[in-house]
Amino acid sequence: MTRRPFWIAALLRLYPRACRERYGDELAEAMRACVRRERAAGRRAPLIAVRLLIDAASAGLLIRGDRASTGDPAMRTMLYDLRHSLRLLRRAPLFSALVVATLALAIGANTAIFSVVNGVLLRPLPYTEPDRLVLLYERIPGATEPFGFSAPDLAAFRERARSYTSLAAFRSVEFELSGIDQPERIAAARISASLMDVLGVAPALGRTFTAAEDTGRQPVAILSDGLWRRTFGGDAAVLGRSVSLDRRAYTIVGVMPPQFSFPNRGPRLNNVPAEIFVPISFSDAQLRAFGAMFNNSVVARLAPGVTVPQANAEAGTIAAQIVAQVYPAELREMGLNVGATATPMREEVVGNVRRLLIVLLAAVGVLLLIACADIACLMLTRAAARTREMAIRTALGAGRGRVMRLVLIETGVLAAAGGAAGLGVAWLVKRALLGPVSGGLPRAAEIALDGRVLAFTAAASICAALVCGLLPAFESSRHQSSRALKESGRSATGGLRQRRIFSVLVAAQFACAVVLLASGALLIRSFARLVATDPGFPTDRVVSVSTSLPQRSYPDAAGVRTFYARLFERVAALPGVSAVGASTELPLSVRERRVFTVENPAPAVPASGGVANDWVTGQYFEALGARVMRGRALGPADTQTSEPVVVINETLARKYFPGEDPVNRRLAWGGVKNHGPWMRIVGVIGDVKQAGLARETEPQTWQPWAQLPDAVVANNPTGLFRTLNLMVRTNVPPLSMVPAIRGEVRQLDPALPVTGVQTLDEIVGASASAQRFNAAVLGGFAGAALLLAAVGIAGVLAISVAQRRQEIGIRLALGAQPRRVTGMIVREGMVLVAAGLAIGLPAAFAAARLLRSLLFETAPHDAVSFVAAAIVLCAVAAVACAVPAVRASRVDPVTALRID
Amino acid sequence: MSPGAPVPLPPHWFQILLAVADQDRHGLGIMTDVLERTGGAMKLWPGMLYRNLGKLVEDGLLVEVEAPAGAETAGGRPRFYRLTAAGRRACAAEAERLAGFVEAARRKKLLKA
Repeated sequence: MTRRPFWIAALLRLYPRACRERYGDELAEAMRACVRRERAAGRRAPLIAVRLLIDAASAGLLIRGDRASTGDPAMRTMLYDLRHSLRLLRRAPLFSALVVATLALAIGANTAIFSVVNGVLLRPLPYTEPDRLVLLYERIPGATEPFGFSAPDLAAFRERARSYTSLAAFRSVEFELSGIDQPERIAAARISASLMDVLGVAPALGRTFTAAEDTGRQPVAILSDGLWRRTFGGDAAVLGRSVSLDRRAYTIVGVMPPQFSFPNRGPRLNNVPAEIFVPISFSDAQLRAFGAMFNNSVVARLAPGVTVPQANAEAGTIAAQIVAQVYPAELREMGLNVGATATPMREEVVGNVRRLLIVLLAAVGVLLLIACADIACLMLTRAAARTREMAIRTALGAGRGRVMRLVLIETGVLAAAGGAAGLGVAWLVKRALLGPVSGGLPRAAEIALDGRVLAFTAAASICAALVCGLLPAFESSRHQSSRALKESGRSATGGLRQRRIFSVLVAAQFACAVVLLASGALLIRSFARLVATDPGFPTDRVVSVSTSLPQRSYPDAAGVRTFYARLFERVAALPGVSAVGASTELPLSVRERRVFTVENPAPAVPASGGVANDWVTGQYFEALGARVMRGRALGPADTQTSEPVVVINETLARKYFPGEDPVNRRLAWGGVKNHGPWMRIVGVIGDVKQAGLARETEPQTWQPWAQLPDAVVANNPTGLFRTLNLMVRTNVPPLSMVPAIRGEVRQLDPALPVTGVQTLDEIVGASASAQRFNAAVLGGFAGAALLLAAVGIAGVLAISVAQRRQEIGIRLALGAQPRRVTGMIVREGMVLVAAGLAIGLPAAFAAARLLRSLLFETAPHDAVSFVAAAIVLCAVAAVACAVPAVRASRVDPVTALRID
Repeated sequence: MSPGAPVPLPPHWFQILLAVADQDRHGLGIMTDVLERTGGAMKLWPGMLYRNLGKLVEDGLLVEVEAPAGAETAGGRPRFYRLTAAGRRACAAEAERLAGFVEAARRKKLLKA
C-alpha cells in the first residue's frame, strides 16, 4: 500500500475496515481526482474538504448499515449499542432533556455567532477575484481620516497608475424615488461606466453603462435585484421602462443579480447597500476642481503580480506628482500635500468588526467548554451509578473498547440531538439578537445558516460529544469487574478519585467563567461610561425629520429657501412646538472638516484635523438645547446681505483663543496666504458631541445656512445643502408630532418623502448601539457561563454530600453543630471557586487585551471590573454551594448510620 | 429485468451501468465518464460511487474483472467492472423507459421531430 497523505488516511478511517482494505487505494485516488476536479471548478479547499467528509461519513455509515442488514456482526453490535443508548436515555428523560438543552444553548450560540463570522468575514465578497480589489483614498499627512478622490485627481491617476488593470469611481447619493405608491428616499450610487467590469460582475438582465452614457450624463439606471422585485414585481420586461429619480425620468438598462451587493463608502450612507445605480458623469467644472470636492470613492483591480504594498507605494508617488505638476501653485502654497493609499476592499468592508467577531467567537467557544464540563460531570455521575452494569458487561467478556464505545455512543446521541436543537436556537438567536443591530454590521444580508455553518454545527457537536464523553468513557472502562461486583451499590458510586475529577472540572469551569465575566464587566462598564457621557444638549422632547428637495422641482436657491421658510413657519405654528430649526448634518454625525485661518494675530493653523463645520438655520440652537456661553447664537438677522458670521464651540475657543474673548474676532476658510472671506465670530456655544458619543469633542463651527451662496444651494452635486434635518422641540411626546409635521410637508409638496424620523434620544442611543450590543452579548454569555458554573458546583457538592452521607451522619452523631457541617461543605466548594479564580484571573487579564479597541474610557486592566467579576462569581458560587450544604446539615444521623 | 434491479433504476445506477455498457472500466473511469456525459450535472463522490458499485455487484448487475492488458489505470491496480447480462437488460429497460418520455415530449411538440 502506498503512503497516503494525512487527510486521505483520516477520511478512509470513516469506512469499515473491510471496505478500506479492499478499496483503499482506489478510494484514495478517487478523492485526489475529486480535489483536482473541484479546484479546477474554482471551489475553495474548506468546501471541498467538507464535501469529501460528508461523502465519506455518509458512505461509511450506509455501507455499515448494508452489512448489518445482511448479518455483519460488528455492525449489528453497533446498532444494538445505539438502540440500547436510546432506550436508556428515554428511561431518564429529565437527564436527557437537561443535557440536550444545555448543549442546544451552547451549540446554538456558537452556531449563531459562527454564522455571522461566516457571512461577514469568511465568505468571499460577491465579486470576481475579490482579493485583487482595492479601494483608493486620498489623505493629508497627519489627518485622522482619509477621504475620497477629486475628479481631476482620478483622471490623473487613471493616466499614470500602472498597478491596476482598471479603475472606477462611485459616489454615494440619495434619490427621491417617486411614481410608486409612496414616494421614498433610497440609497443609490453614481458609478463610472467601468465599475461593474472592475468588480467582475455582469447584470442579470440588460447591460452596464456605456462610456458615452457616462460622459454624456445620460438619464439611464441599473436596478438592484431588491428594488426590481419591490417596485416592478420582478418583471423581466422592465428594460426600457423608466423610473423617476428626484422627479427626473431615468431609463432602466439593467438589473443586477440577487447576490450582488454594493455597500456605499463615505459619510451618511457608509455601508448602506445601493439600490439603484446611475452614471457618475463628471461635469467640466468638477474635472477642473483641483484641490476641492474630494468626494468620489475609487475601487481598482490590481494588475497580475502586483501586491497591495506595491500599489500603495505607487499611489503615494503619483499623488505627490499630481500635487507638484497639476495642482495650481496657490493650492501648494496652502500646504495641501495630498497623498494616496490603497487598502484591500475586504479590509475596508469588514475591518472594523473583525476584532469584535473574533472576541465573540472565542467567548461562545469558552461557553461551550463550560457546558461540556457540566455535562461531563453529569455523565461521570451516571457512569458511577452504572458501575455494576459495566462490571457485569466486563465479566461477560466485553473489552474496554466496547464499554468506552457504549458511553461514547450515548454522548454522541445526546450531542447529535443537542446540535439539531442548537440549529433552532441559532436561528432564534440570529433573529432576536442580530436583527436589531444588523444595520450596523457590514454584509448583514449575507448572514445565513448555509452549508458551511451546518458543517460547523456538526463539527461542534462532534467535539462536544468527545469532550463530554471521553472522560466518563475512560472512567467507565477502568473498573475491575470483580472488585466492582463485590462493592455494594452505595460504595460503588465513585470515591475520592471521582471527587478529584469533579473538582478539576468545576475549577476549570470557574476559571472559564471568570474570563467571560471579567470581559463582560469591562464592556458593561465601558458602555455605562459612554451613556453617562454628556452629549452637550438635553435629549428629551426633540424630534428630527429629514427632507430633500429635488433639483428638478426646485431648480434655484430661491425656491429652496422659500420652501424651508414656509415649512418652518407652519411647523412652528403647530400646537405643542416650542422651537424649530434645521441643520445640514445631525448632531453626533458631523463629517465635514475644514481648514481655517484666524485673523490677526494669525497663527498658521495646521491643515491636519481641521475643524468640523455644520450649516444651520431657524431656531436650531434653541431646538437642540445647546448652551450659548458668550455672545449670541445665529439668528434671522444673519442673511446673505449681512456680514458673514460664524459661531464656535468652547473647544475651538480654548484651543485657538486661550485666555481671550473670541467674540468679534474673525476667521476664514483656507490657508494663511489664500483664504476666503472673513467671518465674524458672534458667539461661543457649549461643546456638543458632533462625531459620535465615543469620539472626543473637536473644534467646531456653525454657519448660517442663509449665508450660503445661491449657486451652492442650487447646484451642489451632492445635494447636501438641499437636504435639511429639521430639529423640532416640543412640549408633548415628540413622536406624537410626526403625523402633523408630515401633514405640513405634504401640504407644501405632496410628492416629497419625509425620512429619518427619530427623536434626539434615539439619535444619541444609536450612537452607543455598537457598545450596547457588545456589552449585551458578552454580558449575556458571561451570565450563562456563571449559571452553568453555579449549576456545576451545586451538582458536584450534592454528589459529594450523597457520597459522604455516612461520614456526615457520624459527625452529627458525635455532636457536630449543623452550622459547622454547612460551613464545611460551603468551604469545600469555595476552595474550588478560589482555584478557579486563581487560574481564571490571569487568563482574563491576558484576554482583556483583545478588548482594548472595543472599550470607551476604560482601561483593559480596569481593577473595578475585575474585582466586580470576582465578587459576583464568589457570591453566586456561595449561593450555589449553600443549597447542598444546608441539605447536608439536615442529614438524620440515625438514618445515615443505618445504611449499609 | 434482473430481480435485483429496482424500477425505475436510480439515475446514478443508470449512469454507472451506461458507463460500462461499451467497455470495462474502473471506478475512477466510471466517475469521469459520468461527469463528462452529464456535462457536470452528476458528480459521483468516491464514497457513494464505491458503495453503489458494491451494491450493483451484489445485485448481479455488474461483475468485477481483471484489468485488461495495457489498460490505462490511474495508479495502483484498480478493479474493472463489466456489465452482466442482467445489468444490460436493466440498463436497456431504463433507457427504453426514458426514451418513452422523450417520445411523449416529441409528440407534444416540445422537441423537433
